[in-house]
Amino acid sequence: MPKKVDFYTLLGLLRSATKEEIRRAYLKSVKRLHPDSNVAPGETELFLDVQQAYQVLSDPSRKSAYDAALSPEEQPKFVLNQNILLSRNQITRTAESQLVYALLEFSPSEEEKAKTKSAPLNICLALDCSTSMKGEKMDTVKQTAIQLIRKLKPQDIFSIVAFNDKAEVLIPATRQSGSQKLETRIRLLQPSGGTEIFQGLQAAYEETRRYANPKTINHIILLTDGRTYGDEPQCYELASEAAERGIGISGLGIGSEWNDIFLDQVASTTGGVSMLVSQPKDIERLLNEKFTNLSNTFAESLSLIFETSENTNINYAFRLQPETNPILIQNPLQLGAVLRDGTFSVMLEFVVQPPEEDAETVTLLQGQIQIIAANLEMPPIPIPIHMVISVTEKVNPEPPPASLVQALSKLTLYRLQEKARSEVSQGNYDKATEHLQRMATHLLAQGEKSLAKTILMEMQNLEQEKKLSPDGVKAIKYGTRALLLPGERIR
Amino acid sequence: MIICPNCKHQESDGAIFCGECGMQLVQYEQAQTQTQKFTSGQSEQTEAPVRSYPPTQQSSTWVTLHMLESGQILPVSDRSEFTMGRISDNQPIMPDVDLSPYRAFDHGVSRLHAVIRRNSQNPTIMDLGSSNGTYINGARIAPNIEQPIRHGDILALGKLKMQIIMS
Repeated sequence: MPKKVDFYTLLGLLRSATKEEIRRAYLKSVKRLHPDSNVAPGETELFLDVQQAYQVLSDPSRKSAYDAALSPEEQPKFVLNQNILLSRNQITRTAESQLVYALLEFSPSEEEKAKTKSAPLNICLALDCSTSMKGEKMDTVKQTAIQLIRKLKPQDIFSIVAFNDKAEVLIPATRQSGSQKLETRIRLLQPSGGTEIFQGLQAAYEETRRYANPKTINHIILLTDGRTYGDEPQCYELASEAAERGIGISGLGIGSEWNDIFLDQVASTTGGVSMLVSQPKDIERLLNEKFTNLSNTFAESLSLIFETSENTNINYAFRLQPETNPILIQNPLQLGAVLRDGTFSVMLEFVVQPPEEDAETVTLLQGQIQIIAANLEMPPIPIPIHMVISVTEKVNPEPPPASLVQALSKLTLYRLQEKARSEVSQGNYDKATEHLQRMATHLLAQGEKSLAKTILMEMQNLEQEKKLSPDGVKAIKYGTRALLLPGERIR
Repeated sequence: MIICPNCKHQESDGAIFCGECGMQLVQYEQAQTQTQKFTSGQSEQTEAPVRSYPPTQQSSTWVTLHMLESGQILPVSDRSEFTMGRISDNQPIMPDVDLSPYRAFDHGVSRLHAVIRRNSQNPTIMDLGSSNGTYINGARIAPNIEQPIRHGDILALGKLKMQIIMS
């Protein structure tokens, strides 16, 4: 048992926490520590401490007495180191809107990293078993699923849902101990029927939810090769419900027929990731990669609850690493997971409308990052984020930070691709061709020959058939996305 | 408002890359980054040294290239000799003037295409054995032989055309 901490730290609160925040933090701690669900030594005592803390902090008069007696606030101990870079720290007083970029970087503090446990995983695989999966795809999926089961630790919870137009719980959520029976059940899976993703997602959600608690890392991995029709809104709704409960969703799209925009939105609603599986043999690698990332989680979810000033809004958000993925603009922003080793970085683009005449500063964003980390003993204290820039008369002569510019250069290519795609869907082919052409030029200059070639082929497609090929679109999208990852690259 | 020098697209102030053509609009220096650290709600700002960009040297330019396709004027610094080409991977010798922003590859510009020299007031161009040749006013010149150029001449490196402007 570590030395006694104050009530705020115990509940994972800043001292400025509101009554409502205190209540919510208390409920969370209780769920985590309730004697009924716990065996770890020392936790019952911790549970009693939490009770006492809440009794004091929820009563205004006792709270103020406690606050007065409390030793002066030391620096709250955050579990993440942070570094925030802004493209500029002032804006000019003009009548036009301006852009400001922020690069947010986090990494686990060494002290906390040493203390992390390895929390049980609670994973559900939702497998598309429609007719189109027949053959190599299905075989690889089965094989990989069996491999994953063998890799599980005794405390891990695992389930498999197979779906086509209906969902079937192939393996119900439970602690698995690599039994032959489960493997046989996977081997017997026969693809047939259509694809209704909501069916599968819902069943997977039910399975995951059953064991989801603050001490497990909860994630649904959806594998599909097709499109779902008409049930997209239900899927989005389910995804936000999952996000609220701390369940992440990631998607692997196999081949070229699946709807990447849909899968992106489902995944990014929860802070998850969508991935392209261009060939069946990649299933194994990507699924294992996802599994490794989950086992390697430091904090499974960072969410940014924020306010911006009236003349500011977040225009674009993107997670650069790990697991490169766009971030859905919503409040809170689901930023995703922090891995044990490695940085976590997010790029935000702000559009700032002309500041008021007498304003000397503009608040870009104010809020806090809430952290869910099953691997940590104590609930982490939220990290306050406050970004303010000053208003000046003159143009800012300072160059933006190099690392921000570098990240943005790659992101610009990704956004050009998005632009070209939306132009194609609007029938604006000339503009789309122009954008693709420019992307190809940049990629050639960077030595990305094969991706540039794909783009040139799509330009031909566009010219001849007035549309892009589904293969090419995805190759370009996930290809430019992969450029954003530092280090090793998949070409 | 920033106007992209490459494609003339208008971007909001603060943009770092052109959203239309992907060209970088702002320079930055590797060694110098500004860091803002935010701790417990207060912003502590590390003093960032205030330094402005070095002014671009235009004063002693003797020749500029007018890129005919993009309409852009490319000032060449005061050096009396410069090579033109495009920068690509694994290239041991870099050209002094990189034409890749002007779609050099598509126009068939070689990596080291041609050199422009000022020899005692008579400027010349010499093709450096390029794949697609160098043309003065439409006439292909022999490689590795200096040819005089005058104000107003149209040069073509492969298919990339530019006009010579002397000052």
